[in-house]
Amino acid sequence: MNYLRATNLGEATALLAQYPEALLLCGSTDAALRLAADTATLIDIHALEELKGVSVEGDTMRIGALVTVNELLCSDAVRASLPLLAACAETFGSHQIRNLATVGGNIANASPAADLTAALVALEATVTLASQGGERTVPLEALFCGYKCTKLNHELIASVTVPRQTGRWYYRKAGMRERLNIAKVSIALTQGSGGFRISGASLGPSPLRFRTLEALLDGGVYDDAAIRAALERDADPSGGYRSTKAYRLRVAFNMIKEALSQPEEG
Amino acid sequence: MQITCTINGRTHRFECAPETRVLDLVREAGMTSVKAGCGEGECGACSLFVNGRLVNACLLLAPQIQDAEVVTLEGLQKETAAIRESFAEHGAVQCGFCTPGFVLRAYDYLSHGGERSEDAIKAALDGNLCRCTGYRKIVEAIAKVKS
Repeated sequence: MNYLRATNLGEATALLAQYPEALLLCGSTDAALRLAADTATLIDIHALEELKGVSVEGDTMRIGALVTVNELLCSDAVRASLPLLAACAETFGSHQIRNLATVGGNIANASPAADLTAALVALEATVTLASQGGERTVPLEALFCGYKCTKLNHELIASVTVPRQTGRWYYRKAGMRERLNIAKVSIALTQGSGGFRISGASLGPSPLRFRTLEALLDGGVYDDAAIRAALERDADPSGGYRSTKAYRLRVAFNMIKEALSQPEEG
Repeated sequence: MQITCTINGRTHRFECAPETRVLDLVREAGMTSVKAGCGEGECGACSLFVNGRLVNACLLLAPQIQDAEVVTLEGLQKETAAIRESFAEHGAVQCGFCTPGFVLRAYDYLSHGGERSEDAIKAALDGNLCRCTGYRKIVEAIAKVKS
């Protein structure tokens, strides 16, 4: 296996252009388990200073791709401006994993069960992608093209930009147990001046916004049957070994009902 | 490739493949308190400190500790004496396989000013599994560590 260490962003994007099939290594909580016999090249980006740190920029927050989940939790700015993301981070993995796992890694791994990704989609995050040709910024939701599939094109995720949260919000995750828990279902919801924004984990091939449901609730329709129908239209959970499709939809419905009756304020 | 790091303050050099797990390197270096349990970051038996952060050694690849300071339970004998004593007093050890990981997490938690309440300690132990007897005595032992 060919191991390459990038020490700055320019070096990393040059290596990525040269080895487009390489696996990028940062926190390694997913990558270390995914190393296959045919993984020819590893590009280690964990030392890239350009991809670290959380900063407030006006009404948005920029989160470097290499920020770990525990760094999110320790950030007063994240707790104050993005309480939904902080609540999600608290349910993420274990202490030891939160010390390693990064925001960019959670997104790039493109698991349908990715906790942070679902929360960030509901928060209307955008991602800045870097390549040798420069940078581009896209809505996070538009980065995915199906199960474990991203549109990253010889690019790496440099940072995530999230508008400061306003209004009511809700986050809940269900799994086999309370801790070190892979989501069977999660729901992330905000209700700001622009209306409802709703996403969730394990409810489709990748975390997406539930637009039919958002429009229904924006119109003031809180009817059970209508909510169920909207969810079935927006969500497409798999019936994998972790739980059935019917279970995931039922729990998602219950969470939406709970979100509407007991949201967190502000 | 060649990896240089310190383990418990002493410089070590390894010649290894890049996909070698840090878990295997530190055990090869004689730090057998670091246990190979689940091998996928769930059980915490391989917990160790890298540059001051407690992580799962089974999820780290050798190049990620290049130039790093690695600390295992062997390097924290004095610092963890009161914790180990409390584990013994409260019968918080059965087979002992998970114990080094629990002791390191307890040290990590208490040295960062962690609360002594049962709920807070339970939450803090989310990365460590015990498969012998359960957690009550471990939680009690951590709550009663003498400062």
